[in-house]
Amino acid sequence: MANPTISRPEWSTVIDSVLQKELEQHVLVTSWDKLLNMVDTVYNWGRRSSLWPLGFGLACCAIEMICTASSRFDIARFGAEVFRGSPRQADLMIVSGTVTKTMMPMIARLYDQMPEPKYVISMGACATGGGPFKEGYNVVSGIDKYLPVDVYIPGCPPTPQALLNGLIMLQKKIDGEHITNAPWYRGDVERDIPIPVLGPDLIDLRTVELTAERTALGLAEVREADLPKPSKIPAPQPEAEVVDASGNGAVGAEAAKPPSKIDLIRAKARGETLPAAGSAAPAAAAAPAAAKPAKKGKRALARPSLVWLGDEGLKELAARLDAELGAGTVSIVQAGLLVAPEKLVAVALYLRDKNPIKYDYLASLQSVHYEDCIEINYQFDSTIRPGSLIELRVRTAEAEGQGEVPSLYQVYRGADFQEREVFDMMGVRFTGHPELKRILMWEGYAYYPLRKDFLEPYYEAPAKVFPSRVDEGFGQHFRAEEVNPHGTNLKVPQGFTDWASLSSGSDPKGQPLLPGAIDVQELGTDQFIVSMGPQHPSTHGVFRLNLRVDGETIVGLKPVMGYMHRNHEKIGERNTFLMNFPFTDRLDYLTSMGNNFGYALAVEQLMGEDSRPPERAEYIRIIMAELTRIASHMWSIGFLLNDLGAFFTPALYAIEERELILDLFEWAAGSRMMCNYFRFGGVAFDLPPGWIERCRGVVNDRIDKKIDEFDRYLSQNEIVLDRCKGVGVLTPDQAINYSTAGPVLRASNVAYDIRRAAPYSIYDRFDFDVITGPNGDLYDRYYVRLLEMRESAKILKQAVRDIPDGPILPGKKSYQIKVPAGEAYSRVENPKGELGYYVVADGSGSAYRYHVRSPSFINLTALEPMCLGHTIADVVGILGSLDIVLGEVDR
Amino acid sequence: MLWVAIGILLKILVVVSIALGTVAYLIYVERKVAAYAQDRVGPNRAGKELGIPFGLLQPLADGAKMVLKEDVIPGYVSRPLYMLAPVIAIVAAMIGFAVVPFGPVGPNQIMNFQIAPNINIGILYVFAIGSLAVYGIILAGWASNNKYAFLGALRSSAQLISYEIPLGMSILGMVLIAGSLDLNQIVNWQDRRVWGVVVQPIGFLLFLVSAFAETNRLPFDLPESEQELVGGYHTEYSAMKFGMFFLGEYLHVITVSYLTVLLFFGGWSLPFHLLNQNQIGFLSAVFKVMVLLFKVALMILFIMWVRWTLPRFRYDHLMDLAWKSLIPLSLVNLVATAAIVQLIYSSR
Ligand code: SF4
Repeated sequence: MANPTISRPEWSTVIDSVLQKELEQHVLVTSWDKLLNMVDTVYNWGRRSSLWPLGFGLACCAIEMICTASSRFDIARFGAEVFRGSPRQADLMIVSGTVTKTMMPMIARLYDQMPEPKYVISMGACATGGGPFKEGYNVVSGIDKYLPVDVYIPGCPPTPQALLNGLIMLQKKIDGEHITNAPWYRGDVERDIPIPVLGPDLIDLRTVELTAERTALGLAEVREADLPKPSKIPAPQPEAEVVDASGNGAVGAEAAKPPSKIDLIRAKARGETLPAAGSAAPAAAAAPAAAKPAKKGKRALARPSLVWLGDEGLKELAARLDAELGAGTVSIVQAGLLVAPEKLVAVALYLRDKNPIKYDYLASLQSVHYEDCIEINYQFDSTIRPGSLIELRVRTAEAEGQGEVPSLYQVYRGADFQEREVFDMMGVRFTGHPELKRILMWEGYAYYPLRKDFLEPYYEAPAKVFPSRVDEGFGQHFRAEEVNPHGTNLKVPQGFTDWASLSSGSDPKGQPLLPGAIDVQELGTDQFIVSMGPQHPSTHGVFRLNLRVDGETIVGLKPVMGYMHRNHEKIGERNTFLMNFPFTDRLDYLTSMGNNFGYALAVEQLMGEDSRPPERAEYIRIIMAELTRIASHMWSIGFLLNDLGAFFTPALYAIEERELILDLFEWAAGSRMMCNYFRFGGVAFDLPPGWIERCRGVVNDRIDKKIDEFDRYLSQNEIVLDRCKGVGVLTPDQAINYSTAGPVLRASNVAYDIRRAAPYSIYDRFDFDVITGPNGDLYDRYYVRLLEMRESAKILKQAVRDIPDGPILPGKKSYQIKVPAGEAYSRVENPKGELGYYVVADGSGSAYRYHVRSPSFINLTALEPMCLGHTIADVVGILGSLDIVLGEVDR
Repeated sequence: MLWVAIGILLKILVVVSIALGTVAYLIYVERKVAAYAQDRVGPNRAGKELGIPFGLLQPLADGAKMVLKEDVIPGYVSRPLYMLAPVIAIVAAMIGFAVVPFGPVGPNQIMNFQIAPNINIGILYVFAIGSLAVYGIILAGWASNNKYAFLGALRSSAQLISYEIPLGMSILGMVLIAGSLDLNQIVNWQDRRVWGVVVQPIGFLLFLVSAFAETNRLPFDLPESEQELVGGYHTEYSAMKFGMFFLGEYLHVITVSYLTVLLFFGGWSLPFHLLNQNQIGFLSAVFKVMVLLFKVALMILFIMWVRWTLPRFRYDHLMDLAWKSLIPLSLVNLVATAAIVQLIYSSR
């Protein structure tokens, strides 16, 4: 007979099996095992019913995690609503979103700081395997490369229900644990994980030798050697010279007068090839050239944006600049002014101060890597005469690390972060910038990732869809990580040898920091430095503030970002145009419809008249955009109050309204958050029957009342007034100079709203007011948002009333989008501010350059001046009033 | 003598265990209140396996988990102080209970619902002990060697010290009127005349505001203000040490609620002499305890309700409020009360 006591401790005696059965029936505890079982039950029950999550969210999935706490889903039912800000008090880490390399050391550290027993839920595709951003150079392809994961939840994002299900799965798992073999009681299992370090890439200290070996072999370089590289295109040349045989000059000549639709269709029918650099011909040749028969490829109409100064105005301006600052200062290139680098600051000063139309607003700044140069281009607009946008171009050396351009920091403070971004991504130095540091990646990262010659670790080909993943691959499907020499998405240059210097103690992100900016003339006090974030209850995501405080007064502040840099732009340059829609959803994940809108406009601008959306589609777009605005402002007001200390109550009420809007989105587009609903020339699906009625109901009967309710309870609350009035003031001049946008700009009494300043879609048909606030303080930013929701409701009512029947796309549904070569900058008034998409197309299936002017990112430039001299509590409020979304800040 | 000692020990035991149990359930109540304030359901799963509804076992689950959790003591803390701080926090909160009457007290009652009866300066004792709690917080913040904890401790020391003053002065009016520092006497006076809140409305408001500050509850929870300082002074504490701070905080809430009711809402008496104070006997004693408990429960609910409704003050505004408004006002209140009391007495 088999010994039944095999698993028992030695001291227990062997009992006759018959006797034991009898005993088991009559006596509750008969053996050590049973006792342990009972202990297990209680032990496990305690842990399973009281799983306190670490209050930390990484990306879009975190929004759904927060929604799980709201009234509709209520994670509190499981006793898991106690989100702790401090890892010491948490039991459960919900990795909710994209894990980036910049963030990974922090996550590992947080994990190590959590007391045992601790659990990890990997929420969403990103945390599980890198998700849509897996190929990114700054994305860790799955948290389980570093942490032990207990439960994976699929989805992008998983719905709140899915998270609840994940929680229940975890509870089941806990139920199966035994106190005798719990890993945290075993001395031989090392549960702490080594914290990876940010060296030339994210280095896992456990595998550092292997990495060093492989790096020395140059495996990455070998693999890259025979990959198809993205080809670079030449930069556009001045009009007078760009005429080649296929008739580009014709477009240039036509652009002088506003082209009629018929001309455009003709031009389209003709088709034109890319301009070949150096094939210069006199301008006179342009007209005959137009008559030449078409070849393949065509160019989009040359214009910087839909609403702009116009060709005539631009010529005048160019002549004026030449006259003022010496001949040859500027020349016109593809509807933009090419400025000699050494004259840039003078031109900018002239434009800002002396020009009849004062260009006081730097809308956007980005760079393009061409074959022969790196071009930095600037979009300027005037808040006094909105809608007169112009584009400036500056060119500099193409070779890595060679480019140098004077900084506009002193003229437009809004250039601060944007120039740093260009430096970070392209390696162009800006002379005169006081603090030219990497902004999204970390100091010491080995590459300039947006250069065309940089290939991501998982690089397969210049454009998705990769041959290996479609039919032509003949079943030879392979995943990029299988050919990635380091086995993870790791890339270290062959020359790197400094392995010994890597230590998990160093933090190359956000160093060095903080000049003491102002003096506090009180008691003799010492200052000290607080680093708030990237995991902090009120930084709205993985954002970090380095504060120098004197007592509680802020004397220095630097925002540190990039913890959620998931390489949107690089990935966008490999996506086909259509494929990029879902990625725009994930920029500002609270306003996916608005993001879609902007991107659609940019590409439609290139595609010209034949992609003009039909009436019904235009109305649907407006309805969606305005619903988005309400949802986003609701969220931001709720969480602003939360930042002021009103513990989640207003926020959860706000989420309740947002849920209603999300229902509408889900019904129309199929997804709550990531709608992916817009298409070039229209929208993806028509509205389902009954949708309009429901929408009307929500707007008329619910939203209006709720806005009133918020107004009644919050706007005059003594403590709210006390905390908000006169805090974080941004004067109108500052607001413009810092390139702030959206409610932040308007709260500073600048009536600049893209919907009015540069009307797009059919906004010119609707009756609504541009809301401004008088003082530019925290309160005004709150109140402007509140009033804007009213205006949105007003627009919605008109749109829902007037929406016509009809098609929702100009032609057939198409999966192969032909986008003519050219350059476009589209602007939409997103809830957070001006969202701009800058697209350079080269006539191929994907964008040559794709840049997002992100309002959250640029608004942050103004954070420092707003906060200095205030207290820590104010900083939290001011940050809340900027309403940043990290997906958009870091992209 | 021995029996007295045993009686006292028993009382201590009962009170402490009841207090701790209550506190555990207060946390549950708080979570439920929060849920209802936010249009949610709140914890309702724990205990379902045993057929116990409404998640009533949630506190037990939390407790079981907390006790069994790894107790991390970070390497960079100063150990003795780090260990001492939560002990101070909870002990200070506990021994304050010694003089709080849980029911009618007096020579002719069937039993003294008080651990240490016959202390005629009961109320002073409560305040003396109450201010000890601040040491727990300061030590926690200092010993943790963490910047957030440090800031939290700084804030709380300033806050608690400032608010002691109006808190102390706000009750003096009541003391003057009743002519005694003994809580029992004060209740009896209210039973004979009117509730304290009627004769001392300003005193009551001052007391209420300062009490919120003393207990670190919103809108004055600056020492641990989550949105700014993560966890404030207890950022570095885990498992039961953190639990002890938690318990201490709720014990404070109970004490403060008792005081409010005793001082301003007639203690165990009902208005219009519905309850004869001179009647002694088992039933009436129980009834009085119930009345007191009911009032205290209402007070506690009120404190919780406020927490889930209001935003937080800013630190400097809080100090302004204490020094520029509350303290002068409480002085005025005190002087005026003293003058009136003197006038009435001398006119008799
Ligand atoms: S992209 Fe966003 S929503 Fe999708 S899995 Fe990643 S974090 Fe979640």
